[in-house]
Amino acid sequence: MADRSTRRLMLVILSAVFAFLYIPISVLVALSFNEGGLPTAWTGFSTKWYGELIANKDIMGAALNTLIVALASTLIATVLGSLLAVGVEIRRRKGRFLETVIFAPMIIPDIVLAIALLSFFSMLDVTLGLNTIIVSHVVFNLAFVCAVVRARLKTFDWTIVEASTDLGASTITTLRRVVLPVLMPAVIAGALLAFTLSVDEFIIAFFTAGAGRDSITLPMQIFAMIRFGVTPEINALATIVMTVSVVALALSQRLNSGKLAGQ
Amino acid sequence: MSDVLLSIRNVQKFYGRLAAVGGVSLDIRDNEFFALLGASGSGKTTLLRMLAGFETPTSGAILLDGQDVSAVPPNHRPVNLMFQSYALFPHMTVAQNIAYGLEMDRMPRSEIRTRVDEMLEVIQLSHLSGRKPEQLSGGQRQRVALARALVKRPRVLLLDEPLGALDKKLRGEMQLELKRIQDEFGITFIVVTHDQEEALVMADRVAILKDGLLLQCGTPHEIYEHPESRFAADFIGVMNFLPVRVQGGRLVAENGNVFKGALPNGLGEGDEAVVAVRPERLRLGASDGDNSLTGRVAATAYHGLDLQLHLDTPNSPGPVLVRLTADAAEGRVYREGEEVTVGWSARDTRVFPA
Amino acid sequence: MADRKPLYLMSPALAWLTAFMVVPCLLVLALAFFRRGIYGGIEYTFTFETIALVFDPLYASIFLKSAVIAGLAGLIASVIGYAAAYAIASMPARHQPMLLFFAVLPFWSNYLVRTYAWIVLLNREGLITAIARGLGYDGELPRLLYTESAVVVGLVYNYLPFVILACYAPLSRLNPEIAEASRDLGGSAWTTFRRITLPMTAPGIATGFVFVFVLSIGNFVTPALLGGGQFQMIGNLVYAQFLTANDWPFGAALSMVLIAIMMGLLTLQTFVTERASGARARET
Repeated sequence: MADRSTRRLMLVILSAVFAFLYIPISVLVALSFNEGGLPTAWTGFSTKWYGELIANKDIMGAALNTLIVALASTLIATVLGSLLAVGVEIRRRKGRFLETVIFAPMIIPDIVLAIALLSFFSMLDVTLGLNTIIVSHVVFNLAFVCAVVRARLKTFDWTIVEASTDLGASTITTLRRVVLPVLMPAVIAGALLAFTLSVDEFIIAFFTAGAGRDSITLPMQIFAMIRFGVTPEINALATIVMTVSVVALALSQRLNSGKLAGQ
Repeated sequence: MSDVLLSIRNVQKFYGRLAAVGGVSLDIRDNEFFALLGASGSGKTTLLRMLAGFETPTSGAILLDGQDVSAVPPNHRPVNLMFQSYALFPHMTVAQNIAYGLEMDRMPRSEIRTRVDEMLEVIQLSHLSGRKPEQLSGGQRQRVALARALVKRPRVLLLDEPLGALDKKLRGEMQLELKRIQDEFGITFIVVTHDQEEALVMADRVAILKDGLLLQCGTPHEIYEHPESRFAADFIGVMNFLPVRVQGGRLVAENGNVFKGALPNGLGEGDEAVVAVRPERLRLGASDGDNSLTGRVAATAYHGLDLQLHLDTPNSPGPVLVRLTADAAEGRVYREGEEVTVGWSARDTRVFPA
Repeated sequence: MADRKPLYLMSPALAWLTAFMVVPCLLVLALAFFRRGIYGGIEYTFTFETIALVFDPLYASIFLKSAVIAGLAGLIASVIGYAAAYAIASMPARHQPMLLFFAVLPFWSNYLVRTYAWIVLLNREGLITAIARGLGYDGELPRLLYTESAVVVGLVYNYLPFVILACYAPLSRLNPEIAEASRDLGGSAWTTFRRITLPMTAPGIATGFVFVFVLSIGNFVTPALLGGGQFQMIGNLVYAQFLTANDWPFGAALSMVLIAIMMGLLTLQTFVTERASGARARET
């Protein structure tokens, strides 16, 4: 298997796949710095499109909304999801139903959850807006936080909880001084994942945002802009959004693999 | 010295209808090094966890200094546990791990520091006080776990298979180290172990548990020399068992050999029994003993200090083990198939129901 | 007490999921058994009409087209993804985590942005056109954007990293000595791959395919952006019922069918995976 021709074939496959994966987004990033803004000709390096973004009130408003939604839903989901994870792992017998309910938000097609929430909110006569987006984002965010924290709990040595009690600590002290610090990297990793998912989420936000301009999030804004065609501004915006999610998730991954744990 | 510190009174623990501990009574003295010895499933760990407070007895009482503590939660008991897995806090340094229990007692910072430094001296890890557990070797972790439990100066220190995770050589060193530390601190140690050699070497007294019940409790010497049951005789050290039948108050083997030994109560005419004798009690030749048997050498094993012979005899289904000191063997070479007669005295003979 | 504690910890999250996932989904299920009122709105009479409408030939063709596009995307992504995972697994062990990391990295960027990147490449004034012109070709170019192919490419591009990940898992666990044993017993490299490696790692492909298929068939963003509204997929149809046609019962019925397809495939996949691992257990 390790003969030369096979090895060469493998390298060719890898290069082709990586080219396929990276050329489209690289072109996008490159174009966002193209002064002329057109893909047809490189007219020089410039950050002017980023400047225009900042001047664009609609985009800035949408960015602010996204930040509000992401922060709020991440905060709620991190608390609920982490508690859920600890609860599920302490419980000795795990029901299949419980597992299904916890996994469901991750596998239900976005569009189904989106219309379900839309129907639900309008049935209850809830005014749609940022609040309904936040509530909806918590649903899938808490499932992801829970999954990340549970993964860490699988290798968690529960005897340290007993050790803490044995040394005289109360339940609260044990949670604060032993359980939480050990789980912290996973909790932060889960929060970063939730934050990114929320920042990027489009479909559910689109359905639960209502009609007003006040509750437009960044992905909704991008969707609307893309439908009108390619502009250098979208290139710049796309580059920023992409960088934010990749950085946040790379960090989350790193925390989770324990490379930053214990620091 | 011989005051009773910890009194276990008819303690039972049921999980549903399953008895993990079925009525155990033990008195453990102040300053004693005590071992709970048993195979897995013997109830020794459950008993230990009840002493620590992680399990509550279904019935019975645990008295510490005469006070019933069976319902006192673990964080309020002057009893500390050294966990089998060590259970060190992975996010804290060695010093922080050791200080944790003292912080729970709200001890002043300066005093905590002194006590931790002292303890680090005792376990000879002062130079590693800033390390995290993952940066330590197995033996070092074991000592930190010991220090963390010991620094609180508990009335009783419980140790759950303290040497289980160490390799054989280190285990030998740590057995002596544990004894030294116990002596130095004057704290009662209760060790749970499945390793009979460990129990014999370290403990002042040993309790043998089987199926949730106490079989025998005594000094290592008592238990080794006077096992009260066939199980205890088999579990501790090496023992040869020879099946016999009681006929006319004598112990008669199937091939007609007659053995002398004190009959225990409850063995009557016609009952099946076993004669038990330790390998090192067997001597060459029949002349000087009350009992003897003859067999053929199946295998020999030279151990430096002694020579072990495996004899095939009609008296036992497996080979009979004979341990000769180097002096007794006199450098003689035993060939396979050679016929050998060994004898032993009635004093060294134990008899148990089959 | 030790048994009640987990309930305290779980109840806030479970309450949230019940209120904002379980109940809304049940609501949608119920909606599918009502029908649209004459003047819009919902007429609350129990009926199978709405669900029956899903199987109307008019909509059946949309289902078929969605399934074809999703199946094609799943197939292409599985082939490329497996090849990539195999190539990564054949590299020196110390390089594998890094390669895998970079294979998955694009997956973490925004879905809309990744889709938009293909608009930049494929549109009439896009990069591909520019390159063709630069190479001196000045004839008429076929339309690239707003085609079914563009949608398939977009779906493959978006979901490929997941397939690589799913295929890499069993490949990396594979004991290389098993393949060596096959070679030792006289199997050629190709036979070894076909008879040994591929069957043992098939569950990864199944997982990858199901994932791509399920996410594609309900997708409405990619058809909307790369298909340019030229044709409809189930996702677009659901979208339209709720946001333009205002026929919620029908939209609900459509999404229930979507869920049914998804659950069917996931069950099938579990079955396939279990059979494969069962076969493995028997071997050892």
